[in-house]
Amino acid sequence: MNYIVRRMLQIIPVLLIISFIVFTLVFIAGDPVALMLPDDATLEEIEQLRESIGLNEPFYVQYGSYVFRVVQGDFGESFRYGQDALSVVWERLPATFELAIAAIIIAIMVAIPFGIWSATKQNSSIDLIATGAAVVGKAMPNFWLGIMLILFFSVTLGVLPVSGRGSFAHLILPAITLGTGIAAEMTRLIRSSMLEILNQDYIRTAKSKGIKSVQVIYKHAFRNALIPFVTITALQTSTLIGGALITETVFAWPGIGQLLIQAVNTRDMAIVQACVMIIAAIVILMNLLADIIYRILDPRIKLD
Amino acid sequence: MGESFIQLKNLKTYFHTEEGTVPAVDDVSLSIKKGETLAIVGESGSGKSVTSLSLMRLIEPPGRIESGEILFEGHNLVDYSKKKMRAVRGNKIAMIFQEPLTSLNPVFTVGNQISESIIEHQNKSKKEAKQLVIEMLTKVGIPRPEKVFHSYPHALSGGMRQRVMIAMALSCNPELLIADEPTTALDVTIQAQILTLMKELIREFETSILLITHDLGVVAEMADRVIVMYGGQIVEETDVYTLFKHPKHPYTKGLLASTPKVHELKEELISISGTVPNPLDYPIGCRFADRCESVMETCRTVHPELKEIKPGHTVRCWLHE
Repeated sequence: MNYIVRRMLQIIPVLLIISFIVFTLVFIAGDPVALMLPDDATLEEIEQLRESIGLNEPFYVQYGSYVFRVVQGDFGESFRYGQDALSVVWERLPATFELAIAAIIIAIMVAIPFGIWSATKQNSSIDLIATGAAVVGKAMPNFWLGIMLILFFSVTLGVLPVSGRGSFAHLILPAITLGTGIAAEMTRLIRSSMLEILNQDYIRTAKSKGIKSVQVIYKHAFRNALIPFVTITALQTSTLIGGALITETVFAWPGIGQLLIQAVNTRDMAIVQACVMIIAAIVILMNLLADIIYRILDPRIKLD
Repeated sequence: MGESFIQLKNLKTYFHTEEGTVPAVDDVSLSIKKGETLAIVGESGSGKSVTSLSLMRLIEPPGRIESGEILFEGHNLVDYSKKKMRAVRGNKIAMIFQEPLTSLNPVFTVGNQISESIIEHQNKSKKEAKQLVIEMLTKVGIPRPEKVFHSYPHALSGGMRQRVMIAMALSCNPELLIADEPTTALDVTIQAQILTLMKELIREFETSILLITHDLGVVAEMADRVIVMYGGQIVEETDVYTLFKHPKHPYTKGLLASTPKVHELKEELISISGTVPNPLDYPIGCRFADRCESVMETCRTVHPELKEIKPGHTVRCWLHE
């Protein structure tokens, strides 16, 4: 428990650094006032607004008051949505989670059987097909795969919706798009760790006990392969979110990725900052989770 | 000591590598009697471990049993299906390995790993298996067996781990226990403990042992009969007394001479000159010829056969024709 508390405390400086980077980038990006006022605003009006939202203060004062507000959960108001930025982001999160979880489920369902299969039948045709497919899957850009899937299933066959969120059918294509790359990565990871583990002495011991080969592979070998698998998968959250950003844009999926891209395009900085901070927090939490799971899966490492 | 219940007849196990075919076990015949301890000695690459793995049918590609028979209780194990072979492994023939740490699965408890073969072969429930495991752990001299049952291998010492391996191997009361360098990875004091334990247990369980080792001290301590292997073949076979007193093959003599003795202080350790021949390209004559002090013309041109020079004593050498 001690360990977890210690790790949680380490999150604070990391988030501070991220907030600093985000704030600086936005600061450099330019004056938001121009976008907040109509084109025919007078210089006086602009100056008044700058003064009222504190843009005339020096950088460190602005950053200090920004951090002070953020700690209280106040990321400022989105001028596009006219409401609190954090609550806008919060509303979008479930959609992103839904997409990410669906993609991971698809990836796991593909990667575990194929990864194990190709490792146990190394250099067989199944192995060649699986590793070949993994390379292709990893190489395909999300936006291209998404568009191809839309063209085929939505436009040509007309069986699945083109975009948006709503029914289960809406989820299928984006989840496959996002899941393909992850599945490819996972398959390669499972294959390589299984190959290594199948050569271990304890696998020979397990075989010498006369237990079923299913038990040797799925219990003795796979349980060991799970250690790097789960850890690395959890560490790949940032890749997953990066993929979600693109997938959500292609499929007009109303998640945090789409929100972020739109906010960048409209220079809705409150939203951008809130999005990045929330995404950073998720990535950090997932890394922490990876560490904890790693310690649970591997009895050689204690939590304290 | 009864009749032989396990016999290898002209066993050949070859490895088909990209560089060529390695005859790791080349025409090996041996038999083990009930209650007997047969030791196979030889240096690395002599084929002793591959012989034992062949016996368990645990040879992985590119290795393959090419020909020969493994007769066990009248049946040829080479012809057994995977399923029938599984019923033999861990049940009638069990095995312990050299390195007890890497031979135990790090992510399962000791109890879990020993229970497996009991559940598999004896149709016991988990609860009954636990009872048996704790009994076995007590027999191999593990203190607080209930606690060790729930421990992971990394939490135990080397000696304890090898005791766990022995408990695992003997849990189904096998007819034959194959011990592949069981003490090599252990401290000397622990080695002695483990050997004593094994001797006690084979008496209690009436198990035959196939002991694979390069340590002649272990052979003297444990074995009834000894097979010396060189280059994938048996070069000498005899009882343990004769081996130490009247070795015939120059290789056996060399092995014995290279073992330091406490009562004979020597400045230098004696070694057999030269190295093991390349298994991809064995000479046509005797495989030991290049390193042999008594080498003759015939040795280089004609391969010697295994000859019985006295009842129970066979040698593969032109000196003993």
